[in-house]
Amino acid sequence: MKLNPNPEIEPIIQVDGLRKSYSDLIAVNGVSFEVGSGEVFGILGPNGAGKTTTVEILEGMRSADSGKALVNGIDVQKDPRAVKKVIGIQLQSSAFFDRLNLSEILDVMASIYQKKIDASKLLDSVELADRAKSLFQELSGGQKQRFSVASTLVNDPVLLFLDEPTTGLDPQARRHMWELIKQFKLEGRTVLLTTHYMEEASELCDRVAIMDHGNIVAMDRPTALVDALIKRGFQKERVETKANLEDVFLDITGRELQD
Amino acid sequence: MLNRLIQTNPTISLTKASMRIWFRDRVAIFWTFFLPVVLISVFGLLDFGAFRTIDLGIVDRADNQTSRKLISDIRTLDAFDISDTASEAEERQALLDGDRNLVLIIEPGFGEDSSQNQRRVNVIYNQGQPKESSAGQSIIQSALDEITFAEGKLTDRYQIESQPVDSRNLRFIDFLLPGVVAMSIMQMGLFSVAFSFVQLKSKGILRRLQATPVLPASFIFAQVFTRLTVSILQTLVLIGLAVIAFNVQLEGNLLAVLLLALIGGGVFVSMGFAVSGFARTEDVAAPLANAIALPMMFLSGVFFPRDTMPDALQLVADYLPLSFLVDAIRSVAVDGQNVWSQWDNILGLIGWLSITFFISVRLFRWE
Repeated sequence: MKLNPNPEIEPIIQVDGLRKSYSDLIAVNGVSFEVGSGEVFGILGPNGAGKTTTVEILEGMRSADSGKALVNGIDVQKDPRAVKKVIGIQLQSSAFFDRLNLSEILDVMASIYQKKIDASKLLDSVELADRAKSLFQELSGGQKQRFSVASTLVNDPVLLFLDEPTTGLDPQARRHMWELIKQFKLEGRTVLLTTHYMEEASELCDRVAIMDHGNIVAMDRPTALVDALIKRGFQKERVETKANLEDVFLDITGRELQD
Repeated sequence: MLNRLIQTNPTISLTKASMRIWFRDRVAIFWTFFLPVVLISVFGLLDFGAFRTIDLGIVDRADNQTSRKLISDIRTLDAFDISDTASEAEERQALLDGDRNLVLIIEPGFGEDSSQNQRRVNVIYNQGQPKESSAGQSIIQSALDEITFAEGKLTDRYQIESQPVDSRNLRFIDFLLPGVVAMSIMQMGLFSVAFSFVQLKSKGILRRLQATPVLPASFIFAQVFTRLTVSILQTLVLIGLAVIAFNVQLEGNLLAVLLLALIGGGVFVSMGFAVSGFARTEDVAAPLANAIALPMMFLSGVFFPRDTMPDALQLVADYLPLSFLVDAIRSVAVDGQNVWSQWDNILGLIGWLSITFFISVRLFRWE
């Protein structure tokens, strides 16, 4: 299991022996891993595997029972505020002040980080420039997701936590979100995302960790994991065709964003 | 066959589902059952029909056997709430202030001889209250008649010489205005905070803020400051309306009233935070906030004076936060007292502020 893709650069996330349980359930059972700076790292796993709890601990939104978690060199349990200043968090079900428009929301959020931003430019980067004066609840699902991502960028973070960034999006919007994430990587940001879509993990992630019942049961580059599976004798039931139904959909409805 | 019909009939099963849904709605149950029960109990306990005594001030400048007899006779008639320890000047002022309905002045030499002067008492009465004034005068006259009869000199009857005075007669709206101002401050603080804060929580907006480095104190300060500003504006609007449209006289200092509005606002905003800390969702917060606000609305002297309530109830009601606020604003706005005279009410408010602040800090959660 390769822990650190580039041993010369200090990992931006270091987790060692993290443990968290609730009264009747062990959510995180001694998890250890590292994420290198500039990586796109995916955490996969069934619901209840402990992904969300692990990520919440790294974000400083939940306390762990024991173990160490360093984010950007900061012990997140000792100084969660310092960590929050340099990261961006996209929660799955995001909500924003309901009587402020998008522009005003971004300005308030920027001021929380004591930064000044150009709200229209930020909205433009997620193709919401024309909705600057709209209220959050007036947006469609896809637009809400895009705005949510935009709100994580107000403090120009080095590390982004994205929780299921494309759940509920149509194929165009999903592809658009993938482009955004690839853009983040080009900008030198690190991305830690959770997802249920294997295709997404394959497409975006440099490495993935698969969690189950509170433990990491596999961690490597997606291609390496697939090769290992084939080596174990796995045979796919149906041969891959040259195109699939999603290709049909995109071909017919086009690759441009619909909203 | 009827059984089968009941089990599969869509109308019947929808009805059953509807009943189930309704009876699980705590807010609806509160408004439908609890509230009317409270209303009936409160009004049942209070007795509006109770006869209110007439406020009589007595100044006995004669202090002889006859005058003392007159006074003790008047006492036994049990129709008056008597004050007889003040000087004439004080009693006259009390009458002007509206604290007496009549003042009886017995001049020196009363009843000592048969001259007209000695067979007369002076009664000054509030001409704005004809019922109480004339009733009071009849009663005093009948007490005088008793003495006339006892002395046997029916030709030299004891009489009243009466003088009307233009007292300050408070209308219901004069009484009501400070009560409504205080009540509005309570409602705004309690409901506005409890509802909106709980909504922020349940919608996940607070959680989104928890993901930022914002300090809870910053956020709470923003909310509190906004609500207190609204309290002040509310008070200005209500007082402005009463003065302009209803000719209410604001006797006291407006700034003093605004200061009280600010302190009162603080108490109820803090209470709102305590409620929202306790309740996770709107359907717990709503009945809770109402259960706190409604009894206070009725028992704190907003719409009617607390001294019409039974003693036991009054004892509890006097210590409610809204009671302190109502009393303080009423004293300043209507009676023209200065704000320092309200130190006891202000102390009560600060006490409540400390308690509710402590609770809200302990219970505060982002989600």
